[in-house]
Amino acid sequence: MRFLEFAALAVRNLRGYALRSFLTTLGVVFGIASVVTMMALGRGAEDEILREIDKLGITNVIINSVKPPEDTSANATRSWTVKYGLTFADFDQIEETVRGLRHALPVHSYVERAWEGSKREDVLVQGVTPSYFTATKIVVARGRGLTVADEEARRPVAVVHQQLIRALGYYGDPLGYDLRVGEQIYEVVGILEDEEFQGFIRKALSSPDRRDNEIYVPYATVLTRIGTKSTSRKSGAYESTDIELNQIVVEVADQVNVAPVARMLRTLLENLHESKDYELVVPLELLEQRRRYQAVFNIALLLIAGISLLVGGIGIANIMLATVTERTREIGVRRAIGAKRKHIMSQFLIETVMLSAAGGILGVAVGYAGTLAMEWYTGWQAQFTPDVALWALAVACGVGILSGVFPAWRASKLDPIQALRYE
Amino acid sequence: MSDAGGPLLDARNLHRWYGEGEARVEVLRGIDLSVEQGEYAAIVGASGSGKSTLLSILGCLDRPGEGTYRLAGHDVLSLRDDKLSELRLREIGFVFQSFQLIPQLSILENTEVPLFYAGVRRGDRHAKAMASLERVGLGHRVKHRPTELSGGEQQRAAIARALVHDPPLLLADEPTGNLDSETGRTILQLIDDLHDEGRTVLVITHDQTVADHAPRRIRIMDGTIESDRRREVVT
Ligand SMILES: Nc1ncnc2c1ncn2[C@@H]1O[C@H](COP(=O)(O)OP(=O)(O)OP(=O)(O)O)[C@@H](O)[C@H]1O
Ligand SMILES: [Mg+2]
Repeated sequence: MRFLEFAALAVRNLRGYALRSFLTTLGVVFGIASVVTMMALGRGAEDEILREIDKLGITNVIINSVKPPEDTSANATRSWTVKYGLTFADFDQIEETVRGLRHALPVHSYVERAWEGSKREDVLVQGVTPSYFTATKIVVARGRGLTVADEEARRPVAVVHQQLIRALGYYGDPLGYDLRVGEQIYEVVGILEDEEFQGFIRKALSSPDRRDNEIYVPYATVLTRIGTKSTSRKSGAYESTDIELNQIVVEVADQVNVAPVARMLRTLLENLHESKDYELVVPLELLEQRRRYQAVFNIALLLIAGISLLVGGIGIANIMLATVTERTREIGVRRAIGAKRKHIMSQFLIETVMLSAAGGILGVAVGYAGTLAMEWYTGWQAQFTPDVALWALAVACGVGILSGVFPAWRASKLDPIQALRYE
Repeated sequence: MSDAGGPLLDARNLHRWYGEGEARVEVLRGIDLSVEQGEYAAIVGASGSGKSTLLSILGCLDRPGEGTYRLAGHDVLSLRDDKLSELRLREIGFVFQSFQLIPQLSILENTEVPLFYAGVRRGDRHAKAMASLERVGLGHRVKHRPTELSGGEQQRAAIARALVHDPPLLLADEPTGNLDSETGRTILQLIDDLHDEGRTVLVITHDQTVADHAPRRIRIMDGTIESDRRREVVT
C-alpha cells in the first residue's frame, strides 16, 4: 500500500506527542543499548583470546616444566638442589615415538640479571632453537633471528626487546650492543616486535618465574655456558633448581592430529614422570573451551536481551493502548471520513514500529557510546560490528510489530459513531 | 453507480432506538425519505427530535434498528464495513454538528484527511486543501490548530474538509450554527453554488434564513416526518 504516506503520517503523529514518544521508547533504547554493549564487549574479549591463542599456534602443543607440589613426606631427601621438570630423555622419547609432528623444539631458560653500570633488570633468558620463532610466531622487527650457524657455533648472541636496552640506560642502536646478563655477554643481533598485549595465556605459558623481559639466545649456547642448574632468590632464601628443559614446543604437522598427539603426549609423560612436574597447554583445546564459554555467554546474553526487550515491548504496548483510547475521537473522525479498518490498523502499527525502530536506532547509538565508555574505563578491547547494529534494529522492529498489533487491532475495531461520541 | 433514474438516496421505514426494555428510547419511528440527485433540502425540527440521528444513518455512519436504506444504488445495510468506508469516502461530505476536527492536526492537515484516504498525492493534497479552505474564507489560518480557532472558524474548517474531495452528496449538521449572519450568508452562498454545480445537499438547521433558502423543507418531530414541502425556486 502507500507505505511511505503512512510512514509520514506516523512521523507527524509521533512528533505531535514528542515527549511521550521519547519516553515510550526508553525501554527499547536501554534494552538494545545494553545488548549492543555486551555484544561488543563479548566479541572484543573473544577476539582478543582468539588472537592470543592463534599467536601460540593452533597446531602447537606446549609442554612446560612446573614445580611439583611440595613433597612433605618424611622420607623426602632434602637436598639443596631441587630437580624436576622435563628432561632431555623426554624430548628424545617424544621425537622418536610420537608420529605426525613437524618438529619438537627444546627450550632451556633461566632467570638472571642484566646490568649496565649501576642499572639492573631481571631477564628471562630463553635458550631456543631457530625454529622456535616461527613455531610460536615471534616476530623479529629489526636485525635477524637466531640461525643454525649460531646454534652450531654456540654463539653468544641475543634477540631482545628494545625496552630492555632502554631500561638499562643505553639509548644508541641496540643492534650490536653487548648485553651483560650475569657473567655472560650476549651480542644483540635482533629486535623483537613490540607485543601489543600480554594476555594471561601467554603468561601462563612462560615459566612460573618469568620476568617481564625476555631475551632469546641459542639453545646450545645456554646449555654449554650455563648448564641446567640455576640459582634464584625467592623471599630471601636462595633456591637452587636443576631443570633440564623448561619447555618443549611440539608442532603438529596437521591440525586434525593435534588432539591425538596431545593424548599421546599425556600418556607418554605420565609414564615417564612420577610426579606432575609438567603441564600441557594445547591452544586448540583452549580455543574449544573458549568457544563453549562463549556459547554459554551468548545464551545468557540472549536471555537478558529477551527479557529487557520484553519489558520494553510491554511498555510500548501499554502506552499505545492508552494512546488508542485517548485518540478514540480521531479514529472515529478518520473512519467517518472514509478510512477503512486496515488504514487505522496500519496507522497505529506503523506508528508503533517506527517508535520502536527509533528506539532501536537510539539504543544502538547509546550502546555504541556505552561501549566506548566501557573501553575507556576498563581498558578492555571491544568490537563493535555493523551486523550487531542491524540485528538490534531488526529486533526492535519485531518488538514494535508484536507490541503494536493488539493496540492497532483495538483501534481498528472501534465503531465510528461511538468513537465520535467518545469524550 | 446509481440506478438510472432512481433517487440518490432512499430510506424506508427507518427506526432507531437506544437502550433496551424499560430504558428503551425511540428516536426515529418510521422515517420514509427519498432524495433525488441534485436536490437541496433543509431538515428542521425541535432539539432532540432526531435530526442528527437521521443524518448519521443517511451518512452511512449509523445503522437503523429497522428499515431499509439505499444510497447511490447500494443496499447500504447489507454492505461490508470496507464497502461502507468506500461509500463514505467517495459519495459523502459530512459536516458534523460538533465539527470533529482532529485536535493535534493543523486546519490544513485536517482538511487533507479525506484526500489522504482517497489516495491523492501529497503535493495535490496541499493544493486542493488550500483551495477548499480559501473557498470558506479560511485561507489565512491554515497552520493553526483547531483549538486556536473560534467556533465559527472551526465550523468553516469542518465545511472545507467535507468539500475537499468533491463528494456528490453533502450532509451538513447545522453548518451555520456558530456563524454571524454575514459569514452565515457566505456559507449559504457556498451551499447554493455547490447545489448549482449539481451536488445533492441535505442541511440540518435551526436557522430560518437557511430553511427558507432551500427548495425543499423536511420537518421532523418526535422521530417522524411531520411535513415535507417543496416550493418553486425563485431565481
Ligand atoms: N447514544 C445515544 N444514547 C442514548 N440516547 C441518544 C444517543 N444519541 C442520541 N440520543 C437521543 O436521541 C435523541 C435525538 O438526538 P439527536 O442528536 O438526533 O437530536 P437532534 O434533533 O439532532 O437535536 P439538536 O437539534 O439538539 O441537535 C435525543 O433525545 C438524544 O438524547
Ligand atoms: Mg443534532
